[in-house]
Amino acid sequence: MTGSLFVQSIGFGLVTASILALASVGFTLQFGVSNILNLAYGDLMTASAFAGYAVNQAGGSIPESLAAGAGFCALASMLLNRYVYRPFVRHGTKLFGMVVVTLAVGIILQNILLGAYGATFFSYSFSTGGQVHILGMVFDTSQLMILGLSVVVMILVQLLLTRTRLGKAMRATAANPSLAKASGIATDQVTDLAWLISGALCGLAGVVLVLNTSAFQSTTGNDFLVVIVAAAMLGGVGNPTGAMLASIVLGVVTEVAAGFLSPSFKEVIAFGVLVVVLLFRPTGIFGQGATVKEIPT
Amino acid sequence: MRSHARPAHTWTRRAALLAVPSLVLGLAACGSHSSASGSSGTGPLTFAVFNPFSGPDASFGPEQLAGCIPAAAAINAAGGILAHKKIVCKTSDSRGDPADAVPAAEQLIATTSSLVGVLGPSSDEASATVPLFNRARIPMFGDTGQAVFNQSSFKYFYRITPPDDAVGYAMAVYAHQKGYPTAAAVFGNDISSQGSLPTVVSGFKKIGGKIVLVQKIPLDQSSYRTEVAALIAAHPSVIFTEADPQTSATYLAEVKQLGHLGPFIGTDGTTQPPWLKAVGNAVSTPNLKRFYVGAQPYAPTTGVPYQLWLAQIKAVNGQVSQPASQWYSDSYSMAAWDSINLMALAMVAAKSTDPGVFRPWIVRLATPSPGAVVVHDFAQGKTALEHGKTIQYVGATGQISFDKWQNSPGAFSIVSSDGSTKVATYTSAQISAAK
Repeated sequence: MTGSLFVQSIGFGLVTASILALASVGFTLQFGVSNILNLAYGDLMTASAFAGYAVNQAGGSIPESLAAGAGFCALASMLLNRYVYRPFVRHGTKLFGMVVVTLAVGIILQNILLGAYGATFFSYSFSTGGQVHILGMVFDTSQLMILGLSVVVMILVQLLLTRTRLGKAMRATAANPSLAKASGIATDQVTDLAWLISGALCGLAGVVLVLNTSAFQSTTGNDFLVVIVAAAMLGGVGNPTGAMLASIVLGVVTEVAAGFLSPSFKEVIAFGVLVVVLLFRPTGIFGQGATVKEIPT
Repeated sequence: MRSHARPAHTWTRRAALLAVPSLVLGLAACGSHSSASGSSGTGPLTFAVFNPFSGPDASFGPEQLAGCIPAAAAINAAGGILAHKKIVCKTSDSRGDPADAVPAAEQLIATTSSLVGVLGPSSDEASATVPLFNRARIPMFGDTGQAVFNQSSFKYFYRITPPDDAVGYAMAVYAHQKGYPTAAAVFGNDISSQGSLPTVVSGFKKIGGKIVLVQKIPLDQSSYRTEVAALIAAHPSVIFTEADPQTSATYLAEVKQLGHLGPFIGTDGTTQPPWLKAVGNAVSTPNLKRFYVGAQPYAPTTGVPYQLWLAQIKAVNGQVSQPASQWYSDSYSMAAWDSINLMALAMVAAKSTDPGVFRPWIVRLATPSPGAVVVHDFAQGKTALEHGKTIQYVGATGQISFDKWQNSPGAFSIVSSDGSTKVATYTSAQISAAK
């Protein structure tokens, strides 16, 4: 691998990391607040991509598609949690049982999309723009937009969690829901808001993912799910800051591995890093030593 | 070639959900149906299309079904098979994934007593399910390209489309003929995309070309920029490729974005409408037209057998996946039509719908013999057989020449991005020159 390809691969890794960060932060936020490992997340990303696609095909711009995807997924996620997941939790479904429920929801959603859109591929109408060279890295304009969007959203999420009353309430709910409720926090509303916000991130991730892949179908988001879960675990499940940094690690490592070794090894190396980190630090890079707890009813 | 196995995580995700029903269905299959005996009485006979109808390769099923539906309609119009006046096509979704395909196959076998033949499986699920159909004594015409079936011992397995390794040689021969001195091979790292890779590399080298890069790329990544940068650095004059539509679209779009899109030759997995649509959208239709060709089994688009096929598929236009015109010159749909016709005629010739009885007739009816009447569809064949004639079936895909392993590899054509315009045709002898 030449030096220039190495530098370029870091740039490409940052783009991958940007998409991954949007997705994994939303995913980990849901888990942090609700203790639900939502494996329908990838399929919700796909559904958001289709929502954005509808706007795009109606003549909407990419920002409008992003807004549509984010809005759709925010609402869908909140409703999904309130009217599907929470009833299961109230009926005593435990952590593993909820994993199966989310799997089932994902499969149902995927097949609804397949039925609605058919077994074919779709592409947004947009221009990727010209090439931009920065420090030996090569980006096109659309990738810079994805990078910029991700950075802005990550800053906003960080500010939300650390500087606002809602953020503190979300963290309190995540840490100990019973105590948070006893302290006067409206945990149900906080949970709804957390799912709205994480759903918006999921929707943004779905649209930027398919902008980058150029073509998508009913399974596209699901194909991306494992790496999202990996980033969430590497960063410490339930920890949005950890998920952001883990996304950068995984994004860059996969691209550099593809350049240094063989593309076949890009996922092998990424998951190798995950295994090694979890071996020495089972709670992830930024895990606080907390163990996975049962779902609060 | 003909399919793209899902990344391991996809089937892992479902394995837990499917484990219990799979076990139940497996037990049901074992307990209720250890071997097929065809359908008794006069009830409908069933041909199953066992292929992916969902998942990344969801386009395969409709392609096979587009061969089954017109064949069944034509057989019904000709009075059916023996005492069975009605033939039906049944779909069974393998989801392109062994974890889903095995219970689906077991369910199909266990619950369809009138099952007399199968179109499929594809490469995605063939290794896992061919033994199941074979054990149940159900004749199957696989659209799998896996080389492992080139010389298999499965008595009930037939294939009238070429294996993956032959596709690789055809691509190499075409590239050589076009004068490309160097090539890169970019293939998905799934088992089925890898099918053509060894032979395109060895074939191209043997006839004087130089392979400058071999990339096995993981499917459905969000980006392949690093791989594309390595490709550009290798300066190939042509790219040999196969991956699923989304992967190819992402990869080739990034080649285009970096300003290096050049000629690329795909396997027959790339000649399908979903692949052409995805990649066409990604690199633009004019670029696809300018730079792309694909290798696919040769099927003539003129002559009486083709006209009979065309008339029949047009007659059932509304019943196949739309637009129906995409199947008119689709060699896999035409092969499916031939497969059903051949099995149906074998039943008539054997005077039995028991697969154990009619199976040997499948090869016999395709083989030339002195005095045999050449027939091109079921109606012609049935009439001739009823008049005591010996027949040879020559269908829409041309003459079928089964080898001792019940494979009929056939010839190849190189087609342009419309999927039907042939820019070159190679006989199996020409392809053998690259071996």
